[in-house]
Amino acid sequence: MATIRIPTQLRRYCGGLAELRLASADVRTALGEIEKCHPALYRCICDEAGSVRRHVNVFVNQDNIRDRDGPDTPLAEKDVVTILPAVSGG
Amino acid sequence: MAQRVLLCIGTKKGLFVAESATARRRFTLRGPFGPGVVVYAALIDTRGSPRIYFSSCNAFFGTKVLRSTNLGKSFAETKSAPAFPAGDGRALANIWALEAGDDRRDLWCGVEPASLFRSADGGDSWEMVQGISNHEHARKWQPGNGGLCLHTILRDGKRMHIGISTGGHYVSQDGGSTFRESNKGIGAAYSPVQFPEFGQCVHKIARNEKAPGRLYMQNHGGDPNLPGIGVLRSDDHGKSWRQISKGLPSDFGFPIVVHPHDPDTVYVMPHEGMTRTCPGGAPAVWRSEDGGGSWSRLAKGFPKKESFFTVQRDGMAIDPLPTPALYFGTTTGQLWMGRDGGEQWTCLFDSLPPIHCVKVGVV
Repeated sequence: MATIRIPTQLRRYCGGLAELRLASADVRTALGEIEKCHPALYRCICDEAGSVRRHVNVFVNQDNIRDRDGPDTPLAEKDVVTILPAVSGG
Repeated sequence: MAQRVLLCIGTKKGLFVAESATARRRFTLRGPFGPGVVVYAALIDTRGSPRIYFSSCNAFFGTKVLRSTNLGKSFAETKSAPAFPAGDGRALANIWALEAGDDRRDLWCGVEPASLFRSADGGDSWEMVQGISNHEHARKWQPGNGGLCLHTILRDGKRMHIGISTGGHYVSQDGGSTFRESNKGIGAAYSPVQFPEFGQCVHKIARNEKAPGRLYMQNHGGDPNLPGIGVLRSDDHGKSWRQISKGLPSDFGFPIVVHPHDPDTVYVMPHEGMTRTCPGGAPAVWRSEDGGGSWSRLAKGFPKKESFFTVQRDGMAIDPLPTPALYFGTTTGQLWMGRDGGEQWTCLFDSLPPIHCVKVGVV
């Protein structure tokens, strides 16, 4: 199972959990599982058109999925998916 | 409990709530709520036990609606925010309008991209209003600098007026099921057709609730090629509009506010068309007491020069007390109050974050 790390700001949308463990073949499937189990959390990560929000970054291990295959980036048994707000200012 | 005046101040960094006795001598400030997140819309819902709602447009995690049942001492997210239905293809970018509906828990919400939503349960669930959101013109509306927003919702029984920037003025006669454009007399200087069927950059529409046939509009003016189109009036429920800009230093501006007890008294905040700030750096609210026939300058208490702020479309409000006060917030973070209908101005707070909306209620 892959480990999904939830940022502190979003833990209130999934009962305070810091991590989720999901048996998903790729990021898209993992996001779909999150949508089923924690719809409010999912809505913070993706908009209603299904796109990962512009200022949210999803990493598989150390790789931003935007630099790999986007939501089709595959997940292996011990992969760690980290969800983080993008750096910003203003 | 004695009546209190509540101000909701939506800023770039969250919502602030200011509270005063009805004498309005001193306001205490609390907040920010939804800290660090931009707020474009707020509603002080005084039906029954008062509730306050505001939108929180989080650039990271999406837009939420927050609700308070204790006069703005604390807020919690509603169970959901408006969301476009599956397959629609659009995604919520911001909330620009929150308005009370018919019954206690009925709410209306105008969003970006320009669409209308309705909640029957106090904001916990939302349904898109097809008649305007999927209007045959909807995919032809264009965003202005502020985004493609549905920012004005005015209701009068089954009649509903909608203001869209940039889309124009639309009216429903059947409670929001169907809408028709109603833009006769509303100009668009940026269009090859100066008075198009739709597509005008309406900035704000306002009216006195007791005179629903009389509407005022701050339209996108400020263009020398089409002078006078900025401030308009309708006397036929928005079927036709005529210019009432004569006498103003500029017909460009964003907010327009109507006196709560006199439908002939209307307030605007003229800005220069190019800079979108106070003409000559000297702030002034302008008031007409004859429905736009003539205008007078209200500037007692304002700086006389070197003041270049903007007041945005929802940045000005008037309270409903017998001698009402006007309020406006600026993009430079000042919150001003104009006593006696704007005769004498005082800066209540001078170092808030940039202000997007100001709402006032008496509870």
